[in-house]
Amino acid sequence: MPERTMEAPHGGTGSDAPAAATPPAPVGPELARDFRDVLPADSVITDEVGRRSYECDGLTGFRQVPALVVLPRDADEVAACVRICARHGVPFVARGAGTGLSGGAMPVADGVVISLQKLRRILEIDVENRRAVLEPGVYNLDISKAAKPHGLYYAPDPSSQQVCTIGGNVAENSGGAHCLKYGFTTNHVLEMEVVLADGSVVTLGGPTGEQAGPDLRGLFIGSEGTLGICTKVTVRLLQTPEAVRTVLADFPSIEAAGDTVGDIVDAAIIPAAVEMMDSLSMEASEAATGAGLTVDAPAALIIELDGPADEVDAEFEHLTAICERHGATRLHVPTEAEERQKVWKGRKAAFAAVGRISPDYIVQDGVVPRTRLAEVLTRIAEMGRDAGLRVANVFHAGDGNLHPLVLYSEAAGEHDAAEKLSTDIAELCVELGGSLSGEHGIGTDKACSMPVMFSPEDLGVMHRVRLAFDPDSRCNPGKLFPTPRLCGERPGKYAPHPLEEAGVIERL
Amino acid sequence: MSETVTPTTVDELRAAVLDRPGTIRLAGAGTAADWAGTPAPADTVLDLTGLSGIVTHNPGDMTVEVGAGTPFTQLREELGEHHQRVAVDPARAAEGATLGGLFATADSGPRALQYGSLRDLVIGATIVLADGTVARSGGHVIKNVAGYDLTKVLHGAHGTLGVVARLVLRLHPTPQVTATVAVPCARSASADLARRVADSPVEAAAIQWHGSDRGDRLLVLVEGSERGADTRARRLAEAVGGELLAPDDAEAAWEAHAASVRARPADRAVFRFGVIPSSLTGVLDGLEADTGGLAEVTTSPRTGVATVAVPADADVVAAAHRRVADAGGTSSLRQRPAGADLPAFGPAPASAAVLRAVAASLDPDQRLGRGRLAPWIPAPTGVSA
Repeated sequence: MPERTMEAPHGGTGSDAPAAATPPAPVGPELARDFRDVLPADSVITDEVGRRSYECDGLTGFRQVPALVVLPRDADEVAACVRICARHGVPFVARGAGTGLSGGAMPVADGVVISLQKLRRILEIDVENRRAVLEPGVYNLDISKAAKPHGLYYAPDPSSQQVCTIGGNVAENSGGAHCLKYGFTTNHVLEMEVVLADGSVVTLGGPTGEQAGPDLRGLFIGSEGTLGICTKVTVRLLQTPEAVRTVLADFPSIEAAGDTVGDIVDAAIIPAAVEMMDSLSMEASEAATGAGLTVDAPAALIIELDGPADEVDAEFEHLTAICERHGATRLHVPTEAEERQKVWKGRKAAFAAVGRISPDYIVQDGVVPRTRLAEVLTRIAEMGRDAGLRVANVFHAGDGNLHPLVLYSEAAGEHDAAEKLSTDIAELCVELGGSLSGEHGIGTDKACSMPVMFSPEDLGVMHRVRLAFDPDSRCNPGKLFPTPRLCGERPGKYAPHPLEEAGVIERL
Repeated sequence: MSETVTPTTVDELRAAVLDRPGTIRLAGAGTAADWAGTPAPADTVLDLTGLSGIVTHNPGDMTVEVGAGTPFTQLREELGEHHQRVAVDPARAAEGATLGGLFATADSGPRALQYGSLRDLVIGATIVLADGTVARSGGHVIKNVAGYDLTKVLHGAHGTLGVVARLVLRLHPTPQVTATVAVPCARSASADLARRVADSPVEAAAIQWHGSDRGDRLLVLVEGSERGADTRARRLAEAVGGELLAPDDAEAAWEAHAASVRARPADRAVFRFGVIPSSLTGVLDGLEADTGGLAEVTTSPRTGVATVAVPADADVVAAAHRRVADAGGTSSLRQRPAGADLPAFGPAPASAAVLRAVAASLDPDQRLGRGRLAPWIPAPTGVSA
């Protein structure tokens, strides 16, 4: 197991190396005055209570009250705000709905939060060309809702899709349960309008996938707010599939379920989604939802196929045969849309439901090559035993994206052990040839683990690119890159996001 | 006179970049040597065909890592044994193009409708910068959001910014059946017909219009399982009045299409562009009128991308770039007669300033591919690298 590096692994490029941004000048009253010159008074938040409501994102263990919060109403106002920040030399953090799970939208002390929640117009649903033009604050699910009457939808569907915004999706390169077949945000964004650190406005990408020159669009997507602020996004819309079929299959072991996934892929079937749950997560979820999961089954798969009806029928037959060959103990095939929703609810509620079987828990996000799923689960179980903690597993099996839930009790003093186990699991994923994050991002949470996955040279080159966009590192400083200041701090206890408690979002 | 170096490992590549002062032009199979901007004379030609072959391939993970100099057709063959493929089909693959070359030139073929281009399929890379820095980005897993997706910046960089040494690609299963439906169709009617195909539940992998001596027609590619794909293709043929081609005819039709895309007609330059699909017909009509007639026309009515041969005249090409830019699209020049001095790109977009900053950061002396992205990245004056 590589040691967690607590000191910044500076790249070998001298002053170009990742490092803490130069501490900005303390924010004075002139800054707020300048913002009020370009924004209505109620769009510049200076009072402590107002600012405090922006202190964290969905990862509530990291908190920082910003110096100022501004709420521009359109792209021009965003650019004006960024120019004011540039003039004053203060850092800024762009923020969508604040549902991120890696502390990517955590404010910077002495910095400005630029909230994009007022930029929430769907500018165009272009049916002929199958695309939508959106302001960054549009909720992900609202894109598909607006497209639905035309038989179209927007494919990336992160589980928080009711409340997360397309601008946040661009920052994180969000995926979702169906990304095995349909890809991520980067595969669906054609063009973006972006405000750079100096306040200039540029267009990245184009109206087609045809590129003239390097793909700066693709570089920007997933850069976690460190290269600028996106103010307009053009996404592709897809035709709603003719048919959708889902099966919930129980298996006598995790290995049998894992082998089934392997054989499905070998059979040239690319399911829209393949989700796996272990018995602990099913126990929790079933208690919460009554979705019809078999709580004493060691593992279950939820597999969904979509596409042309003939194709789906042929593949579905093949798929159920593969499940049976691997000893599936039950195949539940919901026939009505409502029944299918119920199965998905059982899967999607697993996270919050874990609260029923444990007072506290940490959600982890890591990726391993799919063929190493059984191995990583065995290792996680061993590590949990050694740490004296239970780990529940719910994950996107098709693409090897794990979401281990480390269960612990704060009251029993298990926080630090749980935090360590969780970090060790993410770093184990890297050791097995995978990644620190499949969808939650690096943000503040995992910046200190980056040296486990990337060499100082790798990080140094990323940082050189960052400085080309943002020479003073004022766009969301302190995120993604490890810095001594950050990596010396310990995160606080995990607490559910209010939206999560309300059952609006869940953490997968 | 430039000297050619052919490294066979990443270490040798790094050493070659470090040991040789001056400018470097990257070369693969040379199938796109005349694409994009005309390269300035280089002190060294770095031949990347020595970095060839599969580095790792774990079929169960549906990923492969290859040397940048690996010929696409060779990789296709090796992956085919495992019923897997890289789901792009650029025309110049048949001429021996390498993965690195296809990536650096942002090339793609008809299947881009369903699978996108290599930017959608490359999940990691090893790159070497002009100062000898070797860096990796991405990795071997398809789902991965750790760090910047640095690889993207080299897609379409035409051998500037950095040297791609290795690529990690996501693979797709080879479909059991590939069927093609051909529908006779004038170009002016292709947009409407393609829309009808797209609105049907057929889920075509490619929809291309091609004007050739076989007649003007829309070709629709349907891929899938043995039972499903054939049924879908037949249903489509009935619905739109087309013909399900016999396998040999289908192969010939797509081969003729690819031949048009990679053609080098005398006194003409090949112009590739993309506009919003609903503008495609109008832009093509405008180009036809501007140039006095297009040749070797292939279009993708649902993606808005087209490849056409225009007279190899600087004013004509500049006007073509302007027409596409006015429609909000992007364009670049491909094959051209040897020695023709033609503008490779249209007017510089606002983002060219960021591009120059990225270039200044990664290759401050413009050692790599100097001239390829001119005039967006102008060659330095008075700098001797």
